[in-house]
Amino acid sequence: MTACILLAGFVCGSAEQAPRLHIIQAAPAFVLSDQSGKNVALADLKGKVLIVGFIFTTCNGSCPATTSRMVLLQEELKRRGQWGKDVQLLSITLDPVRDTPQKLRSYMGLYDIDARGWSFLTGPAKQVKRVIADWGMWVKKAANEQLDHPSRVFLLDRRGRIREIYNLEFFRIPWVLEDIGSLLKE
Amino acid sequence: MKRSAVIGLVCVAAALGFVTVGNAETCLSPFVKRLDRPEKFLYVYCVDADAKDNDFLAVVDVARGSDSYGKITYQLDLGTKGNETHHFGFTDDRTHIWGMTLFANRVFIIDVASDPAKPKVVKILEEPGAGAGFASPHTPYALPGRMMLSFLSAKDGGLPAGLAVFRNDGTMIEKLALPEDTPYGYDVAIKPDINRMVTSSFTYFNNYKNPLAKMDFKKFGNDLLVWDFRKRTVLAKLKTGGAPLECRWSLTKGTNHGFTNCALDNSLWVWEGTEDGKYSARKLCDTGKLPADLRQSPDDRYLFVSCFASDEIQQWDVSDLKNPKLHSTLKPGIQPNMMHVTGDGKRMYITNSLLSTMDRSEDFWVKLARITPEGMKLDETFHVDLTRFKTGPARGHDMLLN
Repeated sequence: MTACILLAGFVCGSAEQAPRLHIIQAAPAFVLSDQSGKNVALADLKGKVLIVGFIFTTCNGSCPATTSRMVLLQEELKRRGQWGKDVQLLSITLDPVRDTPQKLRSYMGLYDIDARGWSFLTGPAKQVKRVIADWGMWVKKAANEQLDHPSRVFLLDRRGRIREIYNLEFFRIPWVLEDIGSLLKE
Repeated sequence: MKRSAVIGLVCVAAALGFVTVGNAETCLSPFVKRLDRPEKFLYVYCVDADAKDNDFLAVVDVARGSDSYGKITYQLDLGTKGNETHHFGFTDDRTHIWGMTLFANRVFIIDVASDPAKPKVVKILEEPGAGAGFASPHTPYALPGRMMLSFLSAKDGGLPAGLAVFRNDGTMIEKLALPEDTPYGYDVAIKPDINRMVTSSFTYFNNYKNPLAKMDFKKFGNDLLVWDFRKRTVLAKLKTGGAPLECRWSLTKGTNHGFTNCALDNSLWVWEGTEDGKYSARKLCDTGKLPADLRQSPDDRYLFVSCFASDEIQQWDVSDLKNPKLHSTLKPGIQPNMMHVTGDGKRMYITNSLLSTMDRSEDFWVKLARITPEGMKLDETFHVDLTRFKTGPARGHDMLLN
């Protein structure tokens, strides 16, 4: 027996309708080197909405999937004429010893990544290790030369605040575009 | 097709594979990293039975072939007593467990990554829901980089219940209020692929703190709420039998239904969504008495329901939602309650304490059922006695594997 039916769209929920993309925390600052060896400081990117992922180029687990999803985002942002403007993608290496700027450039070529709107970041191992920890991420050695790590992608607003954290299950392009759009309107 | 696109398709499929039907731990948040090997450790969240000594987390060796297989190898003293340690859950990266307490209004954050054999408490959140006006933390549910908690009570132990989201360091960042006319809370479950969340309803601290005979059974919820998870808004309010407890979405991608056990109605209910966005709920089947916990097989075919008051676990075949069939019944001992099914779907660990106000036996244990094609069978060689601690018996409740 059907006990109760209500139409979707009937919004009876929270008495307090707060913004959906809550402020999770201020993004931890960093200065790292991009694929061409140029310094990139998070502080210099304020004013842009950022998508920040953590990967390593020899990963055969979740990193290729994460990068591929971000490539789909790149293509959609290009289609909308937003590429290289108010939105910036960053991928920070989890393996700074092996992921030299040259390796990062090769990896970008493999995925047809356009450096005008997407930078891959590395640096001295100690420095990268600190960034990984500051962002609540971690890396540990796994079998077959692989690294175990959480799969998270961060969405930052124009003021450098983390407003959403996705994992692969939830990093769906229409939803990410919707979230980016919300932040661009703020 | 571009090479990157090929790599992407292969890798997305591979990376998501660990949460698809067939081989994954069920009944954890879908955002929790899954084990990619058989379990080595079973964590049992224990209440000191007479509340005179500290509560603790027991570590049981469940590594096959180990010399101490089936033995308690470590006890993590939680440092306080009378917490009514109840449900606990992993963070998304599986490095920490958040342990809830129904009497103490406290959350233990426990590191299980540094040394999985010897977990340690790294932080205790006192009155974690105070900022949102909530108390009695019940369900910890991992989101990417965060934890969502359901609370059973308002700060004064009454209503309304509610939910709140925390950073993994314990800082509260978001409150989710319940609609005024559905103020009871209990469990929460999210189905990311369709962007839906369901919450259920029990009762509140000032009621459940009483012995069973003195509880007011008119003051229990009978509502399921279906939410748009991303918008955090309620889409539908569904009426069910009394006290719908655990929320279990179907594990199959794209499906739009799930199950709950109605403890005061002795029944399982199913909620179902349609393509035009409507939701309904209906009774699926009658069960044994006081269905207290509900678990799923990884292939999405079976439900396991522990019937606390009739001392049995029922395995229901729900592959045909119009015609559920009782597949097998197990009598593991008195008052079976919490269950935990392994990722391969072949084993199920069982404890037998519900609440210190509701237990009717002090013969506490952890047992193991083997799940075969013919049904559940008790593994007589596995029996963890929870009555012989130096501090006396302990009520084992929730369990996690590592």
